[in-house]
Amino acid sequence: MADIVSIQDVYKDYPLDKVVVPALRGVSLSVKQGDFLSIVGPSGSGKTTLLNLIGCVDVATKGTVLIDGHDTKSLNDHQLTDLRLNTLGFIFQSFNLVPVLSVFQNVEFPLLLQRRLTPAERAKRVDELLVKVGLDKHSLHRPSELSGGQRQRVAIARALVTRPKIVLADEPTANLDSVTGENIIDLMKEMNREEKTTFIFSTHDAKVMSHANSVIKLADGKIADGKPVRDKAAGKKVKAGKH
Amino acid sequence: MSSFLLLLQISFRNIFSSFLNVVIGLIILVGTLFFVVGGSLLASIDKGMSRSIIGSIGGDAQVYQASSKDSPAIFEGWQIPDLDPIPDFSKIKGPLLSNPNVKSVVPEGINTAIVVYGNTIDQILEKLRKAVSPGSKQPREKVESLKAHVRQMVSVIQTDMAKLDKVASKGSFDPDAAKDLTKASSSEFWKGFDRDPFNHLEFLENKIAYLIPDSDQIFLSYVGTDLDVFAKAFDRMQIVDGTAVPPGHRGMLLSKYVYEEMFKLKSAHRLDKIHEALTEKGKKIAQDPDLQDLVKQNKLQTREIVLQLDPLSSQKAVSLLQNNLGLKETDLPKLLSAFFDTDDANFEGRYKVFYDQLAPLVELYRLKPGETLTIKAYTKSGVVSAVNIKIYGTFQFKGLEKSDVAGGMSLMDIMSFRDLYGYVTPEKMAETKSLEKEAGVKFVARDNAEADLFGGSSSVVQETTQKKINDKAELGGAKVKRVNLTEQVYSTEEMEKGVAMGAAILLKDSSKLKLTMKELQEISDRQGLGLKVIDWQTAAGYLGKFILVSKIILYLATAIIFVVALVIINNAMVMATLQRVREIGTMRAIGARKGFVLGMVLTETVVLGLAFGTVGAALGSAFVLWLSRHGIGAFNDAFYFFFSGPRLYPDLSIGSLVMAFIVVVMVTCISALYPALMATRVSPIQAMASDD
Ligand SMILES: Nc1ncnc2c1ncn2[C@@H]1O[C@H](COP(=O)(O)OP(=O)(O)O)[C@@H](O)[C@H]1O
Ligand SMILES: [Mg+2]
Repeated sequence: MADIVSIQDVYKDYPLDKVVVPALRGVSLSVKQGDFLSIVGPSGSGKTTLLNLIGCVDVATKGTVLIDGHDTKSLNDHQLTDLRLNTLGFIFQSFNLVPVLSVFQNVEFPLLLQRRLTPAERAKRVDELLVKVGLDKHSLHRPSELSGGQRQRVAIARALVTRPKIVLADEPTANLDSVTGENIIDLMKEMNREEKTTFIFSTHDAKVMSHANSVIKLADGKIADGKPVRDKAAGKKVKAGKH
Repeated sequence: MSSFLLLLQISFRNIFSSFLNVVIGLIILVGTLFFVVGGSLLASIDKGMSRSIIGSIGGDAQVYQASSKDSPAIFEGWQIPDLDPIPDFSKIKGPLLSNPNVKSVVPEGINTAIVVYGNTIDQILEKLRKAVSPGSKQPREKVESLKAHVRQMVSVIQTDMAKLDKVASKGSFDPDAAKDLTKASSSEFWKGFDRDPFNHLEFLENKIAYLIPDSDQIFLSYVGTDLDVFAKAFDRMQIVDGTAVPPGHRGMLLSKYVYEEMFKLKSAHRLDKIHEALTEKGKKIAQDPDLQDLVKQNKLQTREIVLQLDPLSSQKAVSLLQNNLGLKETDLPKLLSAFFDTDDANFEGRYKVFYDQLAPLVELYRLKPGETLTIKAYTKSGVVSAVNIKIYGTFQFKGLEKSDVAGGMSLMDIMSFRDLYGYVTPEKMAETKSLEKEAGVKFVARDNAEADLFGGSSSVVQETTQKKINDKAELGGAKVKRVNLTEQVYSTEEMEKGVAMGAAILLKDSSKLKLTMKELQEISDRQGLGLKVIDWQTAAGYLGKFILVSKIILYLATAIIFVVALVIINNAMVMATLQRVREIGTMRAIGARKGFVLGMVLTETVVLGLAFGTVGAALGSAFVLWLSRHGIGAFNDAFYFFFSGPRLYPDLSIGSLVMAFIVVVMVTCISALYPALMATRVSPIQAMASDD
């Protein structure tokens, strides 16, 4: 089975005034379809930068990033956008829901951008997902009427609604209390099992990290110890992911 | 489609989500409201004014001699444009009428004359002279009453002089005049009057009359025209007092407005103005300085009434005023001052008393229909001519009663007009000129003409008056008698076969004005009539430009409002976009293309513009419709002309409505362009940034 994400010797520099800030310095890794992968590391280690490269919202300064077989460097803005729309799903640290849209409409939004489904099909899919995240009763609410945990559930539903191959989540629990945070990770894991969706999330919370099948440790823009590190529990889970 | 619906939905929901949007919306709302109301009002005033101009004197179009230096400026009576006359009106009437859209062609010429109005004492002395002349059938009492009146006037002057003498520096007052006054008030003088009335009258006329400085010069703007044709063409015209001038006769109709302003007893006219302000305009004397001023003038200026009263009437006036005011005062001027000292509480009562009891004792108008006026004007060549003309009555244009513009013009028969203007027929034109030269008449430069007109005794005036009358006499084949002229009846042919300064053209279908004007110009050019055709707006001079200027001001004001709006909206939108960077970044991250973001911001702005624009337009329309039902009262007399009546009932201008929407959408789109472009530059990375 081909890797859904394949990163080879990637560098990312941020120009900052006259100096260049190296955020990633030669990172290589590959992610298998169906993985539940956690990227960990201290603040400033390059987690967000790495996720942005995988999420096709940014391109590497050097090295190759292959997402579902597409070299992101060779794609234009349109193609990158479409890749994000169809192949990727995003869960944000601050939930990032559209404030003026209802829960239902927020979840439906990516489907509208895709223009593939009829209104009835869209409604069916959105409703199913809202049941799964436990918010079917709140479909008409505005985000402002929901708690942080509820909002993040909406975000998870929105990320999954297009049935993407990969869902990226940059510190999805950072703005939540620890219990709610764990519930969110549980929900993500459940989705990972049921939908076979690959999840890649970053965190600096050890408890959250412990739910992952595999863990990548970042430090100073490099993978710690110079190579990808697999967690003890990972093997089993990855196998389960592969069937 | 569904994503467009989503855009609309996002837009609608966004409208009230941000305070900025509401600010933008309100600007758009006010702008649209202003535009719709202003546009509708202007369109209605435009219509009202065109109705006023077309319906009173102006006509749809005017023709005049193309060789003229100036072009006609109706309603600018005080400044007569330099026009070459159309030599023979009958030659142009037929060709112009041949156009199927022309309803009538009315010969017109505008001129300003001066009517020198004699002293009240002059008039009384004139009556007395008639009454005592041999063959007079006046009863003895009438003569005595007139004598008593003159004595009363002399004593009024004496009192005045005495007062004046106190305030004025010594020597400013002619001692001879004082001696004359003492003589005229002595009982010996009046005892001797009956023995030798004419010598006594001469003394009064020469030594006393000039001491009463109440003579008046009235500027009279008038249109010389074929009165019958005019009345038929301008059907808003109606006779108010007296009668129309009989067909073919010489004569004049005074504008009712001028008649009230110039010929009515000043005190009465001021009472009328106060009465109107109180009853029709809902004003209060206590709050209105203009009305207070009128009251004050009435209190101070009682002499016009006092001089009119002979001793018997004076006595009646004193007792009726004493009764009404409950005063014991016996001095008439003081009683009158007290009577005119009105306030909001007593005004209407006094007003009624004035007209019911006091007015019958005096002459309310110093000129009555049927009387003859001597009118002086300067001719084209600059000499002064005079004509005696019978005033048949007064007229007004329906709806324009209060307008000083429409009401500023009186009407004169075209024959008298030609006399006063100095041209009679094409043949006479040349002849008159050579006659004037032969007679050695000094040509008066325009600049000096006015002085000559004022100085009633100037030799120039005398000579030309004489000359004119001789001229007319030759024409009519009659003796030098004014009566003959006023009784003379002219045929239509005679009236048409002569000069006209121009002609008003009235159309059957006014909306085809431009086309018909072109056709008329072609007719003139083809037949060598030498005419120039202009529309009512041009002919109206500065008034015609009023609408144009107003429109420019409205559009400028709107443009400024919208430029300001543009800047504010643009800034607000930039701020709104900056506030939404995370939202837009999120949309981009989860798969929205740049085009979607552009569309979203633009749609939002257009929806915002249309939503608030619609509310503004609706409010504006509602306001205009409300106005169209209730009308806007003319703020002052000038507005009667613009409103073409006492109230303006504006129509909702669909043009303004459509324009308002186009402008709103354009302005909002333009102001949204930059923020929208900015929004497309928002990177999806910006969605990832954490809150801190
Ligand atoms: N837009 C940027 N401009 C300049 N430097 C940046 C930018 N984004 C991140 N960096 C720097 O890159 C490094 C890695 O940042 P980041 O990927 O956000 O780390 P993490 O998410 O692990 O905290 C840090 O040193 C950070 O300061
Ligand atoms: Mg980070």
